[in-house]
Amino acid sequence: MNARAARLRWARRWALAPGLLLLGLTLLAAPLLGQVYQPPAYGSDFPLIGSRNAIWIVAQVHLMFAAFVLGVPMFAVVTEAIGIWGKDDRYDRLSKEFTRLLLVAYSATALLGGLFLFLLVTLYPGLFAYLSEIFHISMWVYAGLFFFESATLYMYYYGWDRWKEGWAKLGHLGLGVLLNVWGTAVLFIANAWLTFMMSPPADVAPDTSPAMVQFWSAFANATWMPINIHRLIANAVFGGSIVAAYAGYRFLKSRTPEERAHYDWMGYVGNFIAIAVFLTLPFAGYWLGREIYEYNQQMGVTMMGGFMSWLWIVQAFLIGVLFLAANYYLWLGLGRIPGGERFVPYTKWMLAVLVIGFMVWATPHSMIADRDEVAAMGGTHHPFLGVLGLMSAKNTAVNLMILTTFLSFLMYRRANKIPTVSWAKTGTLAQGTILAVCTAVVIFYGIYGYFVPTLVRIGFSVYQVLAVLFTIVAVIGLDLLVMRKAESRGPIRWGEMPERSQYALFVLVITFTWLMGLMGFARSGIRQHWHVYEVMRDTTAHAATPALGYAAQVISACVVIFLLMIAFVFWIGGMIATPTLVAHEEPVVVPVRGTDPGPDAAPGLGLDPQPLPAE
Amino acid sequence: MASVDLKILAVGAMTIALYTTVANIIPQLESDLPPEVDLAAGMTPEQLVEIGGQLFAGAGGCVVCHAETPGARAPNLSADYQGEGPIGVRCHARIEGMACKDFLYQSLVQPTQHMVEGYPPIMPPADRTLTQPQIWAIVAYLESLGGEVTVTAADIPAAPADGAPEPAAAAATGAGLEAMGPAEIVQVECVQCHLYEGEGVELGPALDGIGARRSADELRRAILDPPSVVTEGYEELVGLMPVDFGRRMSAEQLESVVQYLSDLR
Amino acid sequence: MRERLRHPFWQGALVLGVAYALFRWGIPYLPPLLGISSAPVPRSVMLQYMLTVLVGILVWVSDNEERWRRFKEPMRALLVQPERRVARGAMLVVLPLLVAFVTYDSLRPKISAPAGLRSVHPANPTSITVRGEAMILEGLENPLRTAGREEEAVELGFDLYYQNCMPCHGDYLDGQGHFAHGFNPLPLPLRGGGTIAQLTESYVFWRIAKGGPGLPREGQPWNSAMPAWDEILTPEEIWAVTLFLYEQAGLSPRTWEEH
Repeated sequence: MNARAARLRWARRWALAPGLLLLGLTLLAAPLLGQVYQPPAYGSDFPLIGSRNAIWIVAQVHLMFAAFVLGVPMFAVVTEAIGIWGKDDRYDRLSKEFTRLLLVAYSATALLGGLFLFLLVTLYPGLFAYLSEIFHISMWVYAGLFFFESATLYMYYYGWDRWKEGWAKLGHLGLGVLLNVWGTAVLFIANAWLTFMMSPPADVAPDTSPAMVQFWSAFANATWMPINIHRLIANAVFGGSIVAAYAGYRFLKSRTPEERAHYDWMGYVGNFIAIAVFLTLPFAGYWLGREIYEYNQQMGVTMMGGFMSWLWIVQAFLIGVLFLAANYYLWLGLGRIPGGERFVPYTKWMLAVLVIGFMVWATPHSMIADRDEVAAMGGTHHPFLGVLGLMSAKNTAVNLMILTTFLSFLMYRRANKIPTVSWAKTGTLAQGTILAVCTAVVIFYGIYGYFVPTLVRIGFSVYQVLAVLFTIVAVIGLDLLVMRKAESRGPIRWGEMPERSQYALFVLVITFTWLMGLMGFARSGIRQHWHVYEVMRDTTAHAATPALGYAAQVISACVVIFLLMIAFVFWIGGMIATPTLVAHEEPVVVPVRGTDPGPDAAPGLGLDPQPLPAE
Repeated sequence: MASVDLKILAVGAMTIALYTTVANIIPQLESDLPPEVDLAAGMTPEQLVEIGGQLFAGAGGCVVCHAETPGARAPNLSADYQGEGPIGVRCHARIEGMACKDFLYQSLVQPTQHMVEGYPPIMPPADRTLTQPQIWAIVAYLESLGGEVTVTAADIPAAPADGAPEPAAAAATGAGLEAMGPAEIVQVECVQCHLYEGEGVELGPALDGIGARRSADELRRAILDPPSVVTEGYEELVGLMPVDFGRRMSAEQLESVVQYLSDLR
Repeated sequence: MRERLRHPFWQGALVLGVAYALFRWGIPYLPPLLGISSAPVPRSVMLQYMLTVLVGILVWVSDNEERWRRFKEPMRALLVQPERRVARGAMLVVLPLLVAFVTYDSLRPKISAPAGLRSVHPANPTSITVRGEAMILEGLENPLRTAGREEEAVELGFDLYYQNCMPCHGDYLDGQGHFAHGFNPLPLPLRGGGTIAQLTESYVFWRIAKGGPGLPREGQPWNSAMPAWDEILTPEEIWAVTLFLYEQAGLSPRTWEEH
C-alpha cells in the first residue's frame, strides 16, 4: 500500500512538471485568446479592373455556366423521355450527345465557382464572414451535394449504353431525374444566400449579430421562391437555346445531307424547348417584381421607375429581338414542311403584330428629347404616345406577342397534317374562337386599365396572363385531340433549311446570354450601395451602382468570355467522339427551292383543316 | 468552311455590339450614394433625429413600454399627454428651469429621478445598453416630437480614443455575453428587470432566494422560454422578458447561470 | 407600275415610306383632328420606330425563299448589270455623300442643348425632413383624409392652389398657366392618368415640399422651376393642396401595396 502511495506521489510530481509547462505556454498564449479575430471588411482592391468588376465578371460567367449545367440536364431528361415513349431513337442520341458535353461543362462550372469563392474570400472577407456565420450549415450541404451530383452525372453518362433496355432504361431515366433534383437543390441553396443579400428579413438590423439571425427566416426570405422559379425556368430556356445554337453550328459545317437533316432537326428541338419555356418566363418575372414591391416599395420604385427604369427599355429591345428571331426561324421552317405553304400568306400579318407590339413595348414613358422637343411636347411625356409608355399598353403588347408566337408554333405543328376525326372543322373553329376571345380579353383589359387606379390596373395584368395561359393550354389540348390519327402530307424535309435561319439561332443564344447578364445586373443593382440591403453597407470606392452603358460593357465582356469558353467545351466534346447520326426516314437530297405557291393557294384562316388540291 | 466561322463571328460580334450600343445611347446615370451615418463625426440635427428614431423604435427597445396603444406600461411620448403636448413640448415644463434636452437626458440615464404619476418605476437606465451618442440621438428624436431639436454635436462626448467599444455598448449589440461568467450575467443583464441584492429594477420577480422557490428545471425554462414560467402576480408582464437569452449564451453559460440562481436560497 | 407594286423590294420600300410619313406627320397632326392633343415625335423615338419597321421589313422579305430571291433582284441588278452603269455610278457617289452628311450633321456644333433624359418620376427618398420634422414617406397617408374635416381642407387647398400654383399649373390643372410657357420644361399637367394618378400621395407631398432643388440625381439635369414649398407652406397646408389636387382632377392617389 505504501509503495503504491509513493508511486502515486512520484507520478504526481512528474506529471506536475509538464502540466506547469503547459500552463505556462497557455498563459503566454493568453493575450491571443483575449482578442477575437475580426476579419477585415475588404481585401486589397483587385488590380486593373477593381474588385467589383472582378467579382462581377467571375460571378456572372460562373452563373452562365451554372445555368448551362442545370439547363442541359433538364433538356436531356425531357428528350430521353420523348425518346422512350415516342419510340424515336433520335431523341435518345441527342440526349446522350448533350450529356457528354455536360461532363466538360461541369468541371468548367466548378472551376469558376472555386474562383468566385476565392475572390469573394479575398476581396470581400467581411461580407463572406457575415454570410457564412448565418449560412454555414447550408454551405456544407451545398458542397456535399456536389458529390452526389457528379456521381449521378457519371452514372448517367457512362451507364447510357449499359442500361438500355426495359426497366433498366427507366432506371437510367430516373438517374437523369435525380441529376436534376441535385441540380435544383444546389440552385435553391445558392439562391437563398443571394436573395438574403437582396431581401434580408425585416428583423435583421445593421447591429444584429449574424449569430442571432434565425437560419430559416434568412434562408426562406421574401424573394427566395420567386427567384428559384424564375431561374429554374430561365435555365431550361438557356439550355434549349444553347443546344439550338450548337446544332446551328454543326448544320452550317455539315457536308452530307444526313448530317444537315440531323442538325436541322436538333436545332428545331432545342429552339422549340427554349421558346416554349420562355413564354412562361414573364409570369415568373412578374411574381418576382410583385414580391420586391411588397418587400420594400422603395426598392420596387428604384427598379421600375427610378434609377433603373431605362434598363427595362433595353430589356424590351432584347426581348423584341428574341420574339422576332424565334418567329423568323419558325416561318423559314414552314418552307421544309409539305403543306407549310398554306400558312405563308399569314405570316406577314403576324409579323405586323410583332412589329407593332415591339414598338409599343419599347416606347418609353419619359422620352429622350432635346429642349425644343420637350417644349413642343410640354414635358418629357408625349401627349399622344405617352399612353403607350404605361404598363397597360406594354402588358397588352407582350401578351399579344406571346399569342402570336404561339400561333406560329401551332401553324408549324399542323402544317403537314390532315385531321381525320369527324369534328375536325368544329374543333378548329373552337380553337379560333378561343384565340379570338383571348385577344379580345387582353385588349379589353389593356384599354380598361387606363380608367382605374394603379393598383387595380396591376391586378389586370394577372387576368391578361391567365387568359393567355388558359388559351395556350386549351388550344394545345384541342389540337392534340383534333390531330389524333391525323394523316400526313408527307414527312418534314429536314435539312432543307436556308442557312440564314441558323444565324437566327445564334442571335437567339447571344440574346439570351446577354439578357441573363442584364437581369443579373438588375437584380444585383437594385441593392444599390448595400451588400446586404439596408443591413451591411458597401463602403468601397465601387459602392455606387454604375450607369447602364458601363454595365453593358461588362455584360458584353462576360458574354464574350462565356461564349469563348463554351465554344472550347464544344470543341473538346467533339473530340471525345464523333456524333452518331441516325439514318433518316427519308434522306434529303432535294436542293433548297422556293415554295411560295402564290397568294390564292391557301383558303381559310390558315387553320383550315381541309386538304389542298394538289398543285 | 472558314467563311462560316467568320460569318458566325461577325453575327455574334454585331449582336453584342448592338446591345452594348443601345445601352450606351440612352441617358447614363450612376446611382446616388447617401452620406454615411457615423455617430462619432459631427452630425446635423436631422441625422441625429433619424438615428434616434431608429433606436427608439428598434434597438433601444423603448416602444416595448412607451407604446402608442392605450394602457401601455409607460407614457406615450409622441402624443399629447393631459393637455401638455407631445414630449418635445412638455419636456420644457416638466422641471422648472431645466432645459428640455437636459431633462430628457437625465430621464434616460436616471429614470427614477423624474417619474410621471400613475406609472410604475420600471424603466432601466438607458446607459446600460446604449452608448452616449446613441442616447443623445434619442434625446434629439424625442425633442423633434413636437419641439425644436437643440441637441448638437457638441453635446455628444467624444468616443474613447483607442476606438474600442465601451463594455456597455458591446452588451447592446447582443453579442457581449460570450466572455461573461454567471455572476456577471446576473448582475449586468438580469438586473435590468429583476431586483437582486438591492440592485436593479423592480419589474420582474426579485431574484433573491429564487433557488428556494424555483427548481433548476423551471429556471432553465424561464430563461429559454420566459412565457412558460410565470410567477403569480406578474401575469401582466408576460412577453416582456427577452426571448433571446438562450441564443446569446452558450449551453455552458446557461447551465452555470441556472446553477447560480439555484444556489440563491 | 403594277408589277412594281407586287415586287417585294418596292413593297418594302413603300411600307418604309408610309411608316415614316405616319410617324413624322401622322402622329402629330392626325389625333388633333379627333380632338386628342398630340405633338411631334422626338428624334430618338423616331429612330427607334423606323429601325423596328426596317427590321420587320427585312424579316418579311427573307422569311420565304422565293420572296428573298426576288427581293435581292433589283439590288443585284443595280450592282452587276452593264446597262445600269449610270445608276450604279450615281449610287456609289450618293451613298458615301449621304453617310458623310449624316456624320457631319451629328457632329457639327448646334445651338440647342443635347437631348437628355429627365426622369419625371424619380425614386423618392425614404424620408424627408420638413421644418425639422422627419417624415417617413413609405406608407405615409394624407392625415387630412382621416381627420374628418375633409371639405374644409379641400377649401383651404383650393385657396392655396389659386394663390400659389395656378399661375404655372393653370386654372384647369392642365399645366397651361399663363406663366407656363416661360418655362422649359413646362409645368406638369396634373390632370389625366400620367402624373399624380400614378403616384402615392406622399410622393406628391414630397415633390411639392422639396420642389426642383430636392430632385435626386436621377432627376437631373433638373431645370425645374418648381420652388421648394416647405419654406412657404406648412405640412398641413401642403397636404391640403394635395387633397385639393386629387379632388379637382377627379383622381385618386396610388395606394400602398398590402403587406
